[in-house]
Amino acid sequence: MAKDMTLWWASGSPPCWRVLIALEEKNLQGYNQKLLSFQKGEHKSKEVTDVNPRGQLPAFKYGDIVINESYGACFFLESKFKSQGTKLIPDCAGSDNNCALIALIMQRMFEGNTLHQKIAEVIMYNWRVPENERHESAFKRLKETLTGELQLWEGYLQKTPGGFLAGENFSMADVIVFPSVAILFHMGLSEDKYPKLSEYYKKLQVRPSIKATWPPTWQETPGQEIFKDI
Amino acid sequence: MATDITLLWASGSHACWRVMIALEEKNLQGYNQKQLYFEKGEHKSKEVLEINPRGQLPAFKCGDLPLNESCAACFHLECKYKSQGTKLIPDCEEGRALILQRVFEVNALAEKSSSVLYYNWRVPEGERHDSAVKRNKEALTAELKLWEGYLQASSGFIVGKNFSLADVIVYPAVAYLFQNGLSEQRYPKLAEYYKGLMNRPSIKASWPPTWKNAPKQETLKDI
Repeated sequence: MAKDMTLWWASGSPPCWRVLIALEEKNLQGYNQKLLSFQKGEHKSKEVTDVNPRGQLPAFKYGDIVINESYGACFFLESKFKSQGTKLIPDCAGSDNNCALIALIMQRMFEGNTLHQKIAEVIMYNWRVPENERHESAFKRLKETLTGELQLWEGYLQKTPGGFLAGENFSMADVIVFPSVAILFHMGLSEDKYPKLSEYYKKLQVRPSIKATWPPTWQETPGQEIFKDI
Repeated sequence: MATDITLLWASGSHACWRVMIALEEKNLQGYNQKQLYFEKGEHKSKEVLEINPRGQLPAFKCGDLPLNESCAACFHLECKYKSQGTKLIPDCEEGRALILQRVFEVNALAEKSSSVLYYNWRVPEGERHDSAVKRNKEALTAELKLWEGYLQASSGFIVGKNFSLADVIVYPAVAYLFQNGLSEQRYPKLAEYYKGLMNRPSIKASWPPTWKNAPKQETLKDI
């Protein structure tokens, strides 16, 4: 039950936000949680490394079970709490339509990893690359790669008239990918250049699970405008 | 049915290899397949782009459904063909949780391996730095120590006592490291895992053909 779960998380981190959304969608409010700060280095504290030896967030425990990989935690929650809350992945056995839908959800979920990596490479460039190794040409290339990626997703949303990533209903694909889309707009992505992504962002912003888990630090501080020229 | 399945793949690509292992484990031999060559740019051919607009391999179709992300394909195959072949995701909760954890941790292993192995491919000459190469190697070393640790109490599989989805996803990444010269002395548990599964039918059947006669590379021998 929710009381047996603990999540260590940081505000604005897409992997953490995915798990927060999944918990809400599965009606698991009431889980234990601790908000930590990357800036203060709290992800490397003993409290976290005892659960996640990688010293990364999220760190997630359910009884004796530990799943720190956000995709793993989301899959696990959907599977264990299949019959409560929103059905995030339809049942396998069933119509062929379900099969097609599951395949699309899976495909978009895992492509979400590529999207997240490309976003992170731009946001974290100065953090990851020591000053003497930085090159304008490298940073430019990362931004161009991200632009190409965003155009793909803009295209995906043109083909799903339901407004969600995998058709007519909210699914695991949205749990995984929405946080990455949100961080793009929080950090200045142009709504004019990416109208479909913008529509998706605004549509999902008001979904209860997303509203309830909106990064607290975003409410106080506007994001840096890193993506305005993408 | 295997005949509804199409896989376009390249030898040695661990993403492709995962899907091939999964197909074997689920007794789906007889699927349509075509070996392509990155060196010839065949991953950008029209045939691939029709299935995978990203121009990447694997390009995989189950009926009309494209599933080009290798993990998505593997999960889908396990789900759809649950009742045939090897059970890749057990019913027991703890086993399932640990499999999910390890499956997704492979991203970190694959990424850190690629940073070392493909450094010159990814980074134009004017942007290369010895300090970056050194840092990438240190990151890979730390990552390998983690996996060596995960295998300490192993009965030959990444998780538990049976071959699982975690092995489907992890084994190709580990094999790739040894193919590139990783030291068996420095990583005895990883080496034991690598050798232990080499002759498993699904792995033997899908072993990268270009590795069979080629000498091992030595890129990782000092890691």
